[in-house]
Amino acid sequence: MASAATRVAAGAAKVVKPIFSRDVDEAKRRARELYRAWYREVPNTVATFQLDITARQGRDKVREMFNKNKHISDPRVIDMLVIKGKMELEETIHVWKQKTHVMRYFQETEEPRANDFLSKFYGGHDP
Amino acid sequence: MFLSAAVRSAVSQTVRSLHRSAARAGAGGIFVHRDTPDNNSDTPFDFTEENKKRIEAIISMYPVGHKQAATIPVLDLAQRQHGWLPISAMNKVAEVLEIAPMRVYEVATFYTMFLRQPVGKYFIQICTTTPCMLCNSDSILEAIQNKLGIKVGETTPDKMFTLIEVECLGACVNAPMVQINDNYYEDLSPKDIEDIIDELKAGRIPPPGPRNGRFSCEPAGGLTSLTEPPKGPGFGVRPDL
Amino acid sequence: MLRLPTVGRALAGAAKSSLAPSNTVRTSVRAASNMVEVFVDGKPLEVEPGTTVLQACEKAGIQIPRFCYHERLSVAGNCRMCLVEIERAPKPVAACAMPVMKGWNILTNSEKTRKAREGVMEFLLANHPLDCPICDQGGECDLQDQSMQFGSDRSRFTEGKRAVEDKNIGPLIKTIMTRCIQCTRCVRFASEIAGVEDLGTTGRGNNLQIGTYVEKMFMSELSGNVIDVCPVGALTSKPYAFTARPWETRKTESIDVLDAVGSNIMVSTRGGEVMRVMPRLNEDINEEWISDKTRFAYDGLKRQRLAQPMVKDDSGQLTPTTWEDALTRVAGALQSVQGSEVAAIAGGMADAETLVSLKDLLNRLNSENLCTEELFPMAGAGTDLRSNYLLNSRIAGIEDCDLLLLVGTNPRYEAPLFNARIRKSWLHNELRVAMVGHSVDLSFSYDHLGEETSVLKELANGTHPFCQVLSAAKRPVVVVGSSALQREDGAAIMRAVSTIAQNARTSSGVEERWKVLNVLHRVASQVAALDLGYKAGVDAIRAAPPKVLFLLGADAGCITRADLPEDSLIIYQGHHGDVGAPMADIILPGAAYTEKNATYVNTEGRSQQTRTAVTAPGMAREDWKIIRAVSELAGVTLPYDSVEGVRCRLAEVSPNLVRYDDVEEANYFKQANELAQAVNQDLLAAPLVPPQLTAKDFYMTDSISRASQTMAKCVKAVTEGAAAVDEPSVC
Repeated sequence: MASAATRVAAGAAKVVKPIFSRDVDEAKRRARELYRAWYREVPNTVATFQLDITARQGRDKVREMFNKNKHISDPRVIDMLVIKGKMELEETIHVWKQKTHVMRYFQETEEPRANDFLSKFYGGHDP
Repeated sequence: MFLSAAVRSAVSQTVRSLHRSAARAGAGGIFVHRDTPDNNSDTPFDFTEENKKRIEAIISMYPVGHKQAATIPVLDLAQRQHGWLPISAMNKVAEVLEIAPMRVYEVATFYTMFLRQPVGKYFIQICTTTPCMLCNSDSILEAIQNKLGIKVGETTPDKMFTLIEVECLGACVNAPMVQINDNYYEDLSPKDIEDIIDELKAGRIPPPGPRNGRFSCEPAGGLTSLTEPPKGPGFGVRPDL
Repeated sequence: MLRLPTVGRALAGAAKSSLAPSNTVRTSVRAASNMVEVFVDGKPLEVEPGTTVLQACEKAGIQIPRFCYHERLSVAGNCRMCLVEIERAPKPVAACAMPVMKGWNILTNSEKTRKAREGVMEFLLANHPLDCPICDQGGECDLQDQSMQFGSDRSRFTEGKRAVEDKNIGPLIKTIMTRCIQCTRCVRFASEIAGVEDLGTTGRGNNLQIGTYVEKMFMSELSGNVIDVCPVGALTSKPYAFTARPWETRKTESIDVLDAVGSNIMVSTRGGEVMRVMPRLNEDINEEWISDKTRFAYDGLKRQRLAQPMVKDDSGQLTPTTWEDALTRVAGALQSVQGSEVAAIAGGMADAETLVSLKDLLNRLNSENLCTEELFPMAGAGTDLRSNYLLNSRIAGIEDCDLLLLVGTNPRYEAPLFNARIRKSWLHNELRVAMVGHSVDLSFSYDHLGEETSVLKELANGTHPFCQVLSAAKRPVVVVGSSALQREDGAAIMRAVSTIAQNARTSSGVEERWKVLNVLHRVASQVAALDLGYKAGVDAIRAAPPKVLFLLGADAGCITRADLPEDSLIIYQGHHGDVGAPMADIILPGAAYTEKNATYVNTEGRSQQTRTAVTAPGMAREDWKIIRAVSELAGVTLPYDSVEGVRCRLAEVSPNLVRYDDVEEANYFKQANELAQAVNQDLLAAPLVPPQLTAKDFYMTDSISRASQTMAKCVKAVTEGAAAVDEPSVC
């Protein structure tokens, strides 16, 4: 019954209970549903949050974020990500978020930490 | 304007002085040294040749390496020589005994008989503790004050007499009493003390002791016991012994 | 077994009281068999005879409240706070002064004990002002803590309180004498540890007060310790007054580098600022004291700091620049010269990590021109044998010796804690001290053998009368000051001293482990630098002036512009704009000892580490990192980029440098002496005069203390009297 991916995730050949989906196809279906929901929601989000972006930019961002995880094949992981995505969506729909939270998807505020000694040295006291 | 500033400074002066030790007239005085024209580290003081010999004798009484033990007698010697103990005398004592000056200051400030302020030639200490007070020492005090024209804690302008009030000097049997320098004058009446001061002024030392005629501290109303001559040996002993 | 405190003889001349635990030290040797059994709250306990009740309770893990008792001072027994009930004794006894008797049951928490404590506390508080909110001791006050724990919750006292005049005893210690509870700890500290009998009790009874009686400064190099010793807020720190509360500060355990002793300190910081420095217990080095310079020079860390890189522009002005610019220039300069045309001088406060990185950098550039500012005779064994430049006997070892010969040193100001150790031994162990060199006040008496070098010669060849004493000594120690070895005839002095030490060793017949010859250094970096192979002294640089000179905190001014060719480039790396920085072309701001994790080796050869208490100001960086960055830009990247990496490198070069708190024994005295005999140098006639003679030479010796206002005030107070720096008190 357990798929190959599940077995890998379970480690020592132990059969684990799936979260929602029994196989990859089912998980992918859930992901597609989530994508659609986001796709439909983007224009509303732009309107309610009065974002300075077009719906197209928003949809591109949604696609980009889904694509970021497209290599994942474990249905359990996919399910988990879908759950998180749904939570994000719910928070967005209900305006539990604020404008900055939404716009954070569009801007990476954290600068990557320098690793080489010299840039750490120039950077500050305790690199 | 000027006046108010003066008042303010006077007020602030009094506020500040709360933090300073009260200079009291009693035997204690203050326990810090303040340089004055007649009491500073440059006040000339040196032991006389005679006293230097005495110091040697005093120090020789104590084991080697324990010169510090001679602090009190040497301080006393210094006071007898100079009349009182200026800071320079205490420093000299420290030098003679090879100890830190602070150790001498500690001793000198502890004992009330070491006088760290100048006193007159005759240092009158009047006891006003309860037994003397009950025997009317107040009248003696008043007599002295009227006679010398000074108050307690003051010195006469001619630097002859200093008057202070002290606690019990241990001569309650002969109350009221005063101590003038080393002598006790006891069983005084106001007239007695005036006579004593007159004698002193005249440069004579009146004989110390009771002034009402009794010998030492025998009962004031005559003996009530041991009135007969003492019995000889064998008195009251069993005849067969 | 814990070393029992030397409460024994308060002073050399004081008679032994049968009550005081006068024989604890001596009896501990043969006490194993005749232990006394006592009970603490019913629990049996074996203690040595002569142990006090308080010590017995301490051994049982119960702390008795106390004010006047201090384990390093003589027993006074005047505060009465340590009263405890002894079962079947009629009255409570003062635990600090009462030796235990067989079978006693000490009741440390009985009704009677508690009542006694409460009563004593009520009396103490009768005259103690309730000004805790404006008292600097608040939060670390014994009286406050103990009144909370043992005192009554209400006062029955309605009379007026006594007021005592404050004393001005110098710019370091603030006195609020009304708060004094007359425990006399400060008096005992002054006369026993510091050896300055300036403090005492004057008056009697209710009027008893602590003070100097005459207007006078408490002039001791250890005076700051009375602040720690005072259980109440009567003696507090003047520079620290009203600046911080103990519960707001962060405490960092660190090491002092202002002298070569390496005292253990605790740096209190708040908001990136050093608020104060306090001692930390280390029985082997500083016990629980520190010198005034260690304690009070911290305000120098906030002044005269180099906070950004600077380069000299065309007009000859030093102008601030970026790290990139400064480092590129340094790297360019290093690359443009041939190997031996670059040299480095390490100053007195350089840490081992920086020293090793600088050495690695210069070695990679094919230069061996690395030296220290402090001189050391290189003739004979020089610095090749470690025993030649260490305080081999160790600081604590002084307590075991019976004869100490000081040569050309003034330990009181060069290493105050070492001097305190000598005084301790002089006081309690009948140590005999002799001195060759300028006569100075050492706070204890010694035989002054003269200040001419001829005395050394006579001592070495056995013609001096003191040689008899020297050869009779069972455990002799000879300490030579580093300043004596920095004269032109340093090697000859080393030869003489080494011969004296060797002769004393032979005649004493002491065991092989006992060290006789010692060198007392004055700067914190010297031993580590010599361990790492730095050459002592800048003679080589004077002889062959380099084109690029790297000054690592070199502030003694032994090389000036005039010693170098016109076109030479001087790079200064350090934390203070003192002597070295103004003549530099490029300034690289480094971190001071409170701002870096660094290794320092003290004069004993004991390596210890400082820890970062605050971050370095402005753009200043940890020193070894600067050198590591330079190396990368100069194309000779050093193979470490973390402090662990540098310490691995340190361990490669000299493993003892990373064995923290451990002293690596050094030996080969005989061989060193033989090598020294080969030195062909004559003693000069000039007398041996150490550079620090009186208290005023003590306070300002390095770039940190020279930048400190507090130390400047001390110098002024010492020269002009305490009244000269009197500030209007706030309360």
